[in-house]
Parts: sequence; structure tokens; C-alpha cells
Amino acid sequence: MGWAGLAGGGDVEEARASLTTASTPPPHNSGGEEGICPWAYLSYRQRRFSILGGPVLATSLARLLGELLHEELAARWEQLLLDDTFTGGALAWVPGRMPGAGQLVYPAGGALDRLYFQKVSLTPGSEPRVLGDPGHIQLRGPVRQVVTRTVQGEALLAVRSDYHCALWKVGKPGQPAPLQVLQVEKGATGISLSPHLPGELTVCSRSGAVCLWNPQDGLRQVYKDPETLVFRDPSPWRWADFTAHPRVLTVGDRTGVKLVDTQGPPGCGLLLFRGGAEASCQKGERVLLTQYLGDCSPESLQPTFHLVCTQFSLYLVDERLPLVPLLKWNHGLSSTPVVAQLLPPPRPGCPRPLLLAGQAGELQLLHITGEGASTPRLAGPPQSLPSRSNSLSAFPLLEPKSQWRLQERLSAPTIGLAATVLPSASTPVLSLFQLSAAGDVFHQRLHLQADPRPDSPAPTASWTPRATSRCSRWLKTLLEVPLTPPMWAAPTFSHRRLLGSFESREVEGKVPEGLRTAMAEGRLLQHRDLGLLPTREQPPAPEPGPEDELSERLEAAWEGQVAAWWERRQGGSSGPGKQPKRHKRRTQLSSTFSSLSGRLDLSDATSPPRSPDRTVPEARPQPPVTPPSQELTQGPWAEGIPSERQQTLRDYMAELPLQGDTPGGASAPSSQTSSIRGTSSRQQTLRDCTVKLQLRGDTAGGASMPSSQTSSVRATLSRQQAAILSGSQPLRKKPRMGF
Amino acid sequence: MSDFSEELVRPTTEDEQGETCVLSGTGMCFPWLQKHIETVATGGKREKDFAQTTSACLSFIQEALLKHQWQQAAEYMHSYLQILEDSDSNKRQGAPEIIWRLGSEILYYHPKSSLETFNTFADRMKNIGVMNYLKISLQHALYLLHHGLLEDANRNLSQAETWRYGEKSSSKEVLINLIQAYKGLLQYYTWSKKKMELSQLDEDDYAYNTASQNMLNHSWKTSINLCALIQIPGVWDPFVKSYVEMLEFYGDQDGAREVLTNYAYDEKFPSNPNAHIYLYGFLKRERAPREKLISVLKILYQIVPSHKLMLEFHRLLRKSEKEEHHKLGLEVLFGVLDFAGCTKNITAWKYLAKYLRQTLMGSHLAWVQEEWNSRKNWWPRFHFSYFWAKSDWKDDKTLACEKALVAGILLGKGCRYFRYVKKQDHQVLQKKIKQMKKSVKKYSIVNPGL
Repeated sequence: MGWAGLAGGGDVEEARASLTTASTPPPHNSGGEEGICPWAYLSYRQRRFSILGGPVLATSLARLLGELLHEELAARWEQLLLDDTFTGGALAWVPGRMPGAGQLVYPAGGALDRLYFQKVSLTPGSEPRVLGDPGHIQLRGPVRQVVTRTVQGEALLAVRSDYHCALWKVGKPGQPAPLQVLQVEKGATGISLSPHLPGELTVCSRSGAVCLWNPQDGLRQVYKDPETLVFRDPSPWRWADFTAHPRVLTVGDRTGVKLVDTQGPPGCGLLLFRGGAEASCQKGERVLLTQYLGDCSPESLQPTFHLVCTQFSLYLVDERLPLVPLLKWNHGLSSTPVVAQLLPPPRPGCPRPLLLAGQAGELQLLHITGEGASTPRLAGPPQSLPSRSNSLSAFPLLEPKSQWRLQERLSAPTIGLAATVLPSASTPVLSLFQLSAAGDVFHQRLHLQADPRPDSPAPTASWTPRATSRCSRWLKTLLEVPLTPPMWAAPTFSHRRLLGSFESREVEGKVPEGLRTAMAEGRLLQHRDLGLLPTREQPPAPEPGPEDELSERLEAAWEGQVAAWWERRQGGSSGPGKQPKRHKRRTQLSSTFSSLSGRLDLSDATSPPRSPDRTVPEARPQPPVTPPSQELTQGPWAEGIPSERQQTLRDYMAELPLQGDTPGGASAPSSQTSSIRGTSSRQQTLRDCTVKLQLRGDTAGGASMPSSQTSSVRATLSRQQAAILSGSQPLRKKPRMGF
Repeated sequence: MSDFSEELVRPTTEDEQGETCVLSGTGMCFPWLQKHIETVATGGKREKDFAQTTSACLSFIQEALLKHQWQQAAEYMHSYLQILEDSDSNKRQGAPEIIWRLGSEILYYHPKSSLETFNTFADRMKNIGVMNYLKISLQHALYLLHHGLLEDANRNLSQAETWRYGEKSSSKEVLINLIQAYKGLLQYYTWSKKKMELSQLDEDDYAYNTASQNMLNHSWKTSINLCALIQIPGVWDPFVKSYVEMLEFYGDQDGAREVLTNYAYDEKFPSNPNAHIYLYGFLKRERAPREKLISVLKILYQIVPSHKLMLEFHRLLRKSEKEEHHKLGLEVLFGVLDFAGCTKNITAWKYLAKYLRQTLMGSHLAWVQEEWNSRKNWWPRFHFSYFWAKSDWKDDKTLACEKALVAGILLGKGCRYFRYVKKQDHQVLQKKIKQMKKSVKKYSIVNPGL
């Protein structure tokens, strides 16, 4: 047992899978291979295939594939520009009854569909200790956000997946008790727990609705507006949080944040923040993250402050003085801000630390003061904390390929952040956990610097020998895992195999036989191979394309024989014998292409195709590219809550094996993505390994903290298990995953 | 509000000049995509070496600043100055502001930086980017103020005030107003110091006359400096406060009232609770009639129902003769206790307990029920849970007793909070608990018959 056991994430393979589930594009161009398409070497073969199959696979297929590809590319592009799936962070610290003891809650597994509860004990003097193996809950969807609050001594945990949200009560023995599961038809974008009333939570939907749930009154829609607040913005992202008044919520979208009284008439409210002149916003500036900051001890800051983050700046807004931000700071993050967390002051009278994490792994620490009625301000210059990729130089020098793998692993996007200040210490310690998309949990410890003087030498980070050894062990195991096969392999087409399938059938007539021999010998098909020359086919090409037809017709027209041409054509196409034969050939060909086309029924090419993983069209998340607003209003959400209320706890919870249960593959199928990926089974297990992160965080001035940082990685889930999971459910095509 | 927006839009456009940004199809701007897209936009052509080095240098400076490596940042800054010779006019124009912003931050924290260095740097920068003269002057003055050099700051501001260049734009006007207002604030500071001195002097003293004469001069100058800014929509709390104080000192009550009324009620100004608080304070000093005070606080109540003045408001309403004011008094108390920051406000609970009894005695059950109806589904969990009963009793027994009384009246005898406190055996509070039980029995709205 050791600290390294903390990151119960998947092994490297799994982590890659999680990258794909998180829909985060893998960092391709971080290495030296910039600009080279990894599939380029396949193109020759693909081209041959397209020439061969072009006539068979009619234009409708190309159109269909084109549509899907376009849609996919558009979605990918949107995601590349801005990935908001993990806004709010998927890592939470649930404090226990004893100071320093608590649980880390985070998703792991290939599809991030397993929620782990790891007991951890933090002591100010030494490294954190992991107590026992983590318990877990298997969910039926990827976890996007994990929120925790302790209200009136009751620790609650809320989880957001793509189409579901769930609430647990983390009881004293550590066994989480499920309270409620909510289904969100259009996809949930944010969830938050009330700091005032136990068990109350808000859920935002892509349809623009905000719902409030509490154990007494159940689910209630408190706000609904498919349009954005200030100006028109196509993003369906919505966010809601609480305010100092338990019955007033903030509702945010990309353009602004509004205060909404849940007891007042629907639709009314006051704008709290507007992306515009009052905040001197730049052109194209959008809200990416909003948060209520009044959740913990109200002693040093008024409980009325809200944080608003855009891609450029960070704003502090007071709900008593709406529209005019009290503080604006240009954060300069080079990626989307994902999580912000305001911590209690390390010492009474000290400024409160505010952590801001960007998706690319940057961490910034600000200190906010504002005693009593005075306006909040930054105490000292903001500070950037060492990021994960900063630790690269602490590792031994590796061969380029391994180095690249390590680098890629360390620079996986941040998807969660949790921090806690350890009380009752001589020098307060800030413990910081980070979750990366690769499934690693990193830990950093920051000490409060007692006497910050600007000219004092910058304190250096210290490394415990334990961290260093874990670090090298982690690296060793990481490099032992063979490289993943490419995520998508182009289908291989062999004309010999093609012919084999021909041979197995009864082939009648001389024409196909001639074709077959010609193909087998790899030479041109000539008239003599076919014996009888088919006189009716005017151009001897085996399958005239539409262009040929056109030119032929034009030619005929030029000569004044269109009618004759038409007659000929009519007769030709309806001629007996030819059409069924060709049809047969098509079906035969299609059977060999099944690896590509899944369920596509080629015999009926005109019927609307059904893509294999999207059988229910309305379940699809709206493509973010300018969705027509009317369409959004007509969704099932418009009919609204009644159907939502029908969701019952039992339906979903019946499927939840609690801690200790082995995730039986059949009963808990993982997501679609992992089934695509789970190709190889490996028993490789990464265990007890840590990364040592090199610190460059020279800290001076302000209330800065020198930091010691250890990180650990653990992989428990074996590939074999993943293979069972994926193997057991190839037929499951339901796009919606419930808990 | 629209005017307010207009005014603020303009200064920002200047900031944008130097920055180029990638706008996506949705109109959103992504600063971090700049690097990737630039090569696409230029058709594969790379940026010029010069532009590459300067932008790399800029990012090094920013990184060093965030890591508090001031010396390193200063070295990079030294190299970055070459951007002033960039052939790209857009970049060249935007550069002085970037240099000023980063440079002043470096010099503020740099261990070897001195006042002289900063002054030299500021003076240079003022004249490199003529467009930034006013902004840099103002920030320079603030820096000097921060170091306690009021005289220098004042001189700086006076210089900036008289500076003229090109046409008068509205953004410049706002800046000039701000500069004047800060000057006014400095003068106010010296004035109030003199006022202090004056209060220690004897009125018959010869020095008294000269000092008061001095003060008069000051106030006249100050009022000119301050009043221009206050007319512009915005949040100008410290300026308004000092201006009003001076006006009041010289007996210009009407002027002060006008300024404050304008600040509080002008539609163009953003909603600002402080404006109403200042007005209320002024009216209270003036001994305005209660009716007037109530009307001011009523607006504050609508903006910030959790403000600490609300308890004073309640007292005013309680004393009023009007029945509607009595009703509002109850509403205000409930409103204060709605807020998370006020849950442990013992005065508010005391008032509520007392006033509930009083209201019910006056047979206004309907008022109480009206307030309670919107709260009955969440106040029990918010205020009267078993957890709070235990923790309140542990932390503050008086608070627990007041809350228990309210809980008993609103929720009846069966309420957990009330039951918990009732059960406690406490010698000192025994009498109080007994009284509480009696009151609950008599007034509880759950069983009005009993």
C-alpha cells in the first residue's frame, strides 16, 4: 500500500481509450512528426479500393459518408476550439470527519465510466497516505463532472455524465448511498450542489433549461430559455450555480450570467455579468466558467461573490452590485479554464487562495483579500504553479520515442482539480490533486512561505526520495506497456480474398469467369476474355459512370439520334438477365465489405441509412454548429418536466453494483467507444508507480508558497478486463448510457 | 444604461489595436489558437523571424512574471524593447502599452528597482506612445501614491491635466476627468488633514483664520476637480463621498443632497447600493423626517435585502404609525434571514421573535402566513434542522433560544429545533425556555386555537 495506489486509473492503453472517450484529440503535433498524416501510407491502397468499389458503391453511399464525415469533422472542430465537457472538473475531495482524512472521488477506466472512492489521509508533515484499495461504482456513461459539498454535516456527491446526473450521500462508513438519478434528454452541461440546503442541486441542459432538484419537492424547472442571455451565441452550453440567497440561482451561458429567483415569475431576473462594455470585454470574449465563491467560511470574504472566467480574463462580481465587476485580471491561460476553486484562508487573516486550472495543465494561484465591507482585491502578484509537463526534466534521459511517450502522457489535458488546506499545522500546507485525461492523479504540496521578501532567493522545490523512486517505477511500467495499435485501422482489401468468395459460389456464365481469371492474373480485362462481345453495351467499359452516359447522350444528340439512343438505353437497362446478375454481384461484394459498413444494407441503397451507433436520432447531442433555436424548443424538454419526473431511482440504480462487486462485463457494459477500442487483451497491470515532477516554481514575494510535489499514477484495471467488457457487448447499440 | 455602455466601449477599442485574435465561426475568439492558425492564414508562410522572436520573448516575460522571476523578466524586457522598431505598424502601435504594463509590473516587484528607475521608465513611456500619455500618467501617479509621495503624485497629475494632443475624444475625456478627480481626491486628503489640525486649534488663535482660509481655497479647487467625474455614469464611491463631505462642511446642504440624489437615482448610473447608503447617511445627519428615510431604505431593501441597515430599517418601520409599514417591517426581517450570511445574526432573530409575537398579538396572522408560505418549504431545512439545533446550542445558547421561539411559533411544538432546545437543561436560561414554551403555546400559527 502506498500513495501510488491513489490513481486507480487504467493502464496506458486504457488511458488512451479514455482520451478518445473524452473526445479530446490526442496531442499529435507535440512530437517531431508535425504535419504528417499517420494514415498517409494507406492512401494508395485506399485509392485502389475506391476505384474498384466506386461503381458498386453508388453515389448515395458517398453522400451518406460525406454527411457523417462532415458532421463529425464539425463536431471535432468545435471540440478542438473549445472542449467544455469537463467544465467544473471531474475530481473531488470529500472531507472526512477527522481533519486531513477524506476521500478522493474521480472517474477511471477506459471510458471514464467507473467512479472511484479512494480514502486518503493527509498529514502536513509528510506525504499523503492511501488507505486501502479504492471502492468503485460502475456507471453506464462517462463521468464528466464530480461535485461535492458538505452541508450541515452531510457530505453529498453529485456526478454529471452526458445524459445523466446522479446524487449520492457519502455516509460515515464511506459507503455512498444513492439518492437520485436524473436523465437529461438533450445532454447535461453543468451540475452544482447547494451550499445552503442539503441535497439540493441544479442541472443545466443543452436545451437551455435549468432544473432544481431537492429531496422534498423533486425536480422543478426554474428557468428555460433556448436563446442566450445578452446576444445571440450558438453555443448550447449553460451553467447554473447558487447565490447567497438559497432561492436565487445564477444562470450562465457564453454571453453572460443572470440572477434568477426560483420563486418569482419565470423568466425574470437581473443580469449579474454581461459580456460587454461594463466589464470592458474584448471582441469575441465569452464566458467559459462561472462559480459562486461564497460556499465556505464567510469570515474573510462576503458570501456574495461570483467568479466569471472568460478565455482572456477572470472577473470577480458581487451580486449586490451587478454588472460592474469588482476585479478583473488577465489570466493569460493558454487553454480553456476548466476548474476554479476558492479555498479557506490558510491562517486567520490571510488572503484566500484561489486556484485556476487550464485544460493544458496550467495552474494559477491568486490571493484574494477583502475584509468586511471593502472590495476584494488581489494580494500580491498571481503565481503560476508548476505544471505536470514541467516535471519532464526530472526524469532520466530516455530514447526519443520513450521520451515522447512520457511527454505525451504528462501533457494529457487536465480534467479535474481538488485542493484542501490542512489545518492545525505550524506552516499551513495546501494539498493539491490533479486528474489528467490519461487517468493519472497527481499530487502537489505547497507550503505557505512565512516571510515573503522580494529579494529573498526563490525557494526551490524539494523531492522526497520516496517520490523519486515511485517516479522511476512509474516510468518503467509506463514504458513496458507496448505501444497501442493505431486507434483506427483501415480495412484491408485483397482481391484474392474477394475472388475466394466468388469461387465459393456457383458462377454461371462466361463473363464473370473471364473477369475472375483476369483479376487473378492481375491483367487488363479484354474482350476475348469475355468471349461473346456484349453488343448492346455501347461503350465496352464494364460500368459506365454517369459522366460517360452524359457524353454519350450529347454525342448522340449532336448526331441527331437522341431518340434512338434513348431507346437503346431503355432496352439495355431493362434487359433481362443483366440487372439481377449485377445485383447479385453487389450483394456479394457488400458482404466482403462488412468490416467497413456495419449494418448498411446495400441492397436497398435509397432507404435512409442507419449509422451503427446512432439509432435514436434525437438522442444525439446537438451539433454545436448553429443549431436552429426553434428546433431546440420543440424537444422533449419543451413538454418538459412530467416526462423527466418519471425517472425513477430504481430503474437506474438497479444496475449499480456497489463497492466490491466485480464489474461483470455483461451486466455493466461499457460505452460504445471502448468497444471499438478494446481490440487487444493484455494482462499488463501498472501498479504503484509515481511520477516525480520537477519543480521550477521559484516562488517569491506575496504570500507565495514553495512547493513540493509528488505525483502518482496507478493503474489497476487490467486490459483483460477491458477486453471482457468490450467483448461482451458488441451488439449493444444504444447510444444513451444510463447509470 | 445604454449611455453607460457607450462610454465604456471606447477606451477598450484602443486596447484591442495591437491584438490579433482568431475568431471562430461562432464569433468566439480563441487566443490559444493563434499560433496554430497563423501558418494556415498566411498560406503556410511562416512569420518573419523578427515577429517570431518578439512573440517568443513576450511569452517568456509573461511566464517569468507568473513565476515571480522579476530579474529574468527584466532581462527579457530589455530585449523586447526592439519591438518598437517592428515594421508592422499595428504591432508597433500596440507595443508601448504592452511594454508599459509589463514593465511597470516588473519594476513594482523587482528587488533592485527604485523610485528613480520607475520615474524614468514612466516618463520615457509616456512619450513613446503618445496615445498612452494620460493612462500612463494616471498609473504613475497611483504608483507614487502607493509609495506615499503625495506631492509628486499631485505634480504628476497636474502635468497630465494640462497635456493636450490631437483632437479631444470621449475616451480621453473620461481619462482627463479621472485624472482631475484623483487630483481632487488628493486635495481632499490634505483638506481633511487640515480640518483635523483646525479642530485642534483654538478658534481665537491667529493661526485658525489662516488655516480656515487655506481650507476654503482647497475646497473650491477640489470641488471643481471632483464634480466633473461624478456627472459621468459609473461607480465613483470614494469621490462622491469626499465631495459630499466637503460640501457638507461648508454648509452647502442642497448641493450635497443634489449630488447624492443624482448618484442614487439617475437611471444612467449602474445600480449601486452604496449610493443609497450615502444618501441615507446624509439624510440621517440632516435629521430628515422618518418618512423620507423609509423611502430611501425601501429602495436599498429592494437592491440588497441582506444589508445590515435593514435592521435599522425595521426599527424605523416598527415605529411608524402606518399599518403597511408594520407589515413591511415583518417582511424585512424575514428577508434578512433568508440570506446565507445572516443566519447567525442574533439581533435579527431577536427582532423576529419579538415582532412575530407582537404581530400575532395584534391579530395579523395573515401577514405572518403570507411571509411564511413562500418559506415553509425551505426554512425548516435551512434554519431549523436538527443539525443547526445542536450546533447553535453548542455555539450560542441565546441564539438557539431565539431561533427555537421562532421555530415554535412558525412550525408548532413538534418542530425538531424547538423540541431539542426545550429539552436542554440549562440553569441560567431556564426562565427563558419556560417563557419560550409559553409563547409558543400561545402564538404558534400552526395551532392558532390553542
